[in-house]
Amino acid sequence: MRLVIERGELLRALGHVTSVVERRTTIPILSNVLLKASDSTISFKATDLEREVIEEAPASVETPGTLTVPAHMLHDIVRKLPDGAQVELQREAERERLTLTAGHSRFALQLLPAEDFPDIAVGPLPHTFEMSSADLKRLIEKTRFAISTEETRYYLNGIYLHMATRDDGAMLRAVATDGHRLAQVDLPLPSGAEGMPGVIIPRKTVNELHRLLEASAGSVTVSVSDTKVRFEIGTVTLTSKLIDGTFPDYARVIPQANDKELTVSNSDFMSAVDRVSTIASERGRAVKLNVDGNKLVLSVNNPEGGSATEEIGVDYGASALEIGFNARYLLDIAGQLEGDQARFMLSDPGSPAMVRDSSDGSALYVVMPMRV
Amino acid sequence: MSIRQLSPETINRIAAGEVVERPASVVKELVENAIDAGARDVEVVTAGGGLSLIRVSDDGCGMSAEDLALCVERHATSKLSEEDLFDIRTLGFRGEALPSIGSIARLEIVTQEQGGSSGCAIIVDRGAKGPIRPAAINSGTRIEVTDLFSATPARLKFMKSERSENLAVSDVVKRLAMAHPQVAFTLVTGERASLKLPACKADADGLLQRLGRIMGRDFLADALEIAGERDGVRVAGFAGLPTLNRGDASQQFLFVNGRPVKDRLVVGALRAAYGDTVPRGRHPLVALFVDVDPRELDVNVHPAKTEVRFRDAGTVRSIMIGAIRHALEGAGHRASARGGQDTIATLRPVEPAAPSRTTGAAWSGVSSRVASVPSSSPLSDFESPQGRVHGFAEPVQAAFTAFSATGADASADAEPARADLMDSPLGAARAQLHETYIVSQTRDAVVIVDQHAAHERLVYQKLKAMLTEGGVARQGLLIPVIVELGEEGAETLAEKADELLELGLVADRFGPGAVAVREVPALLGDTDVDGLVRDLADEILSESDDSALKTRLEAVASRMACHGSVRAGRRLTASEMNALLREMEATPFSGQCNHGRPTYVELKLSDIERLFGRR
Repeated sequence: MRLVIERGELLRALGHVTSVVERRTTIPILSNVLLKASDSTISFKATDLEREVIEEAPASVETPGTLTVPAHMLHDIVRKLPDGAQVELQREAERERLTLTAGHSRFALQLLPAEDFPDIAVGPLPHTFEMSSADLKRLIEKTRFAISTEETRYYLNGIYLHMATRDDGAMLRAVATDGHRLAQVDLPLPSGAEGMPGVIIPRKTVNELHRLLEASAGSVTVSVSDTKVRFEIGTVTLTSKLIDGTFPDYARVIPQANDKELTVSNSDFMSAVDRVSTIASERGRAVKLNVDGNKLVLSVNNPEGGSATEEIGVDYGASALEIGFNARYLLDIAGQLEGDQARFMLSDPGSPAMVRDSSDGSALYVVMPMRV
Repeated sequence: MSIRQLSPETINRIAAGEVVERPASVVKELVENAIDAGARDVEVVTAGGGLSLIRVSDDGCGMSAEDLALCVERHATSKLSEEDLFDIRTLGFRGEALPSIGSIARLEIVTQEQGGSSGCAIIVDRGAKGPIRPAAINSGTRIEVTDLFSATPARLKFMKSERSENLAVSDVVKRLAMAHPQVAFTLVTGERASLKLPACKADADGLLQRLGRIMGRDFLADALEIAGERDGVRVAGFAGLPTLNRGDASQQFLFVNGRPVKDRLVVGALRAAYGDTVPRGRHPLVALFVDVDPRELDVNVHPAKTEVRFRDAGTVRSIMIGAIRHALEGAGHRASARGGQDTIATLRPVEPAAPSRTTGAAWSGVSSRVASVPSSSPLSDFESPQGRVHGFAEPVQAAFTAFSATGADASADAEPARADLMDSPLGAARAQLHETYIVSQTRDAVVIVDQHAAHERLVYQKLKAMLTEGGVARQGLLIPVIVELGEEGAETLAEKADELLELGLVADRFGPGAVAVREVPALLGDTDVDGLVRDLADEILSESDDSALKTRLEAVASRMACHGSVRAGRRLTASEMNALLREMEATPFSGQCNHGRPTYVELKLSDIERLFGRR
């Protein structure tokens, strides 16, 4: 293999693929990136056995070939090369090494056999649809904070992406929950997604995908089977295994009969919660919401540190109510709302509360109260 | 095959199989008899691991010739009144020991009744009872068992080495000796006297003296007296400080009505009482004496009587826990004195006396070689054990250099020690070394405190107090977690619902063999609810302790304490140091950090003086 590639192209491609490569692994080849040169392109592939990312870049290829080199090392080298440099990659015939030459710099990297590089057996992906990357990004951003990190309930360690039917038509819905709170976001169902299976996309894949989407405008092609999902974003392809489990029947926990409606300015609410929770010292300290008429009093009481209260004007018509929440959960949810007004649907101090954006019906959040 | 009535000899041999398992069982039965006979001095002699000879002599009440003839008969005893089988106030009562021993060995009893004029003797040889004949003896009883198991060769094959039989014998005698400090014991195994315990006073001091002889001098220095009483159950004895601990539970003794027993009750009670003050996998040293009305107790669980059953085990357990906790809290910041002794031992130089006795070469240039090649030296026997040889070796010297180097600048801001502070247990802070250790001075000692470990403990105790006082905040679960526990597990967990609620866990029955967990302690965050509840149910079922939840909460508190405390490397002012010392004195359990390590060592002035050869 012998080729010349512009440093910027090389850096961009490596940046996309190397982040799936674990820094510490027990299988040496997983630290490597697979380089495949043919015609006028070079492709890069990296994997952690659960997911793989493939990226292509233009290059002037003299001799085609396939080889693997340490991914993070190659990435670090290229990052430190001067902007605009022409990078020459050449496999040394007599030794199992790749020489990288740029200007006066010269590196030789150890190779591992390309035929050992693992491949995710993808199989057919029967459902394919296209959506804007901004839409997909929105689905992820508004739900991923609620993904559980607790490993025993592994089926909660991802975003559940599936079809849902509402009064106003079929929807593509993303749901995440950790058992304490839940986030649900809907989008009109893209054409081609009809009949797709419900899939749980693992957290690491979600984060990789989000990173790739940030760098892209345009559209994303999503292909799904029962066990795999693939996202094609421009020249990058991310293929991932899915979490093999059953997402719980989340619809049951979304309260239907919460009739105490409270509307509050989201920014006022958020900064007030943030301020009063300063007093809380330990993790999971409750902030108490006391609402009566058009007055909401937020309070935190910490026997060690003192107490804090703040009053904000709200729109509330139901009977007075006192209910406590984990301050961090409230902040997480408030941070997702885009409109000016947050709409809380409450019931009693022991039942879940529902939060929505007053201007946007596509997202809803549920949070369980805390009790002392 | 027709059914036959077994002969009395056979019956006795079968019974012997239960009572007499190994030589130590014989010793146990005979010494118990001696104690029951009111002996003040008991001597035990064994040979060949007890197989060739066991001789127990006492100065107890002895027996008349008529009693002697009867005592070797089966089910003959003076200790049990037929009117009330449950009023057992003696160690023995079944009337089995002597005939059992007599059926499998050669048994000779020589005795003289107290106040009687002449002694008498009897020999039972493998079940064959000889005549009563006169014998010469001072008052008391001497029993000799020879050729043990010669009538049961099968059992003989299963004996362990002489050494391990000797160990078992000595263990039996030690346990009985701990329970009866007012009796003097002598144990001779083989040729040398392996144990000689003079009689002690029958009060707490005497008991502690006796325990110290058996459990070691460390225990003597670090034992706390415990006492608790409720509903006719009395718990007394001594418990070691948490920093004095062992890798196994062999130094935990339980005595019920003067009877050494083994009971799992102690394990759970000790775990609950010591809790987080002892490192995982380490066991504190204790000797617990429980006195209950004999009617509340079943000692007849096993012929060897090493197990008992309490009618109300819960009460006994809670009194034990209460008494030990009370003592530990009273001990406050006290850490094991061993820390100081270990330090002194490390610092102490090799005794120069040994080399000086040689040709004198030791004082010339070659002296260092003597220490480095101990095996080739004819004097190796005189030298300290390897671990101590490094007395003035390089690293220790280096530590001293650092001592003086940092000592100078650190003491700059330490005010002159105030006289009143010197009287408090941890003294007046004089300096901080390596920004990690506080050195303080008391009237008669130097105290070195690990500032991080100490402060961590203080923060932790505070967090724990907050947990208990303020209640545990509970986070509701959107989706209740259903945990399959089986009928029994679900039932026991449901019974404990109130206690669990206080710790922040709400779970109720869900169908026959499962519980639904609806709220969990908010402190635990996104946690493995299923695993937690299973652990809890297991613990409650095994009656050990329902501490799984508490342990986890405390683990979080401990982590938070670690982050929220003064780190090593932070420079403290004199008043900060003094404040820390005063708080340690006021806080229970501050003598050890959350991981059970000591937070300070105290070097007695007398030890330091010895170090420099001033004493």
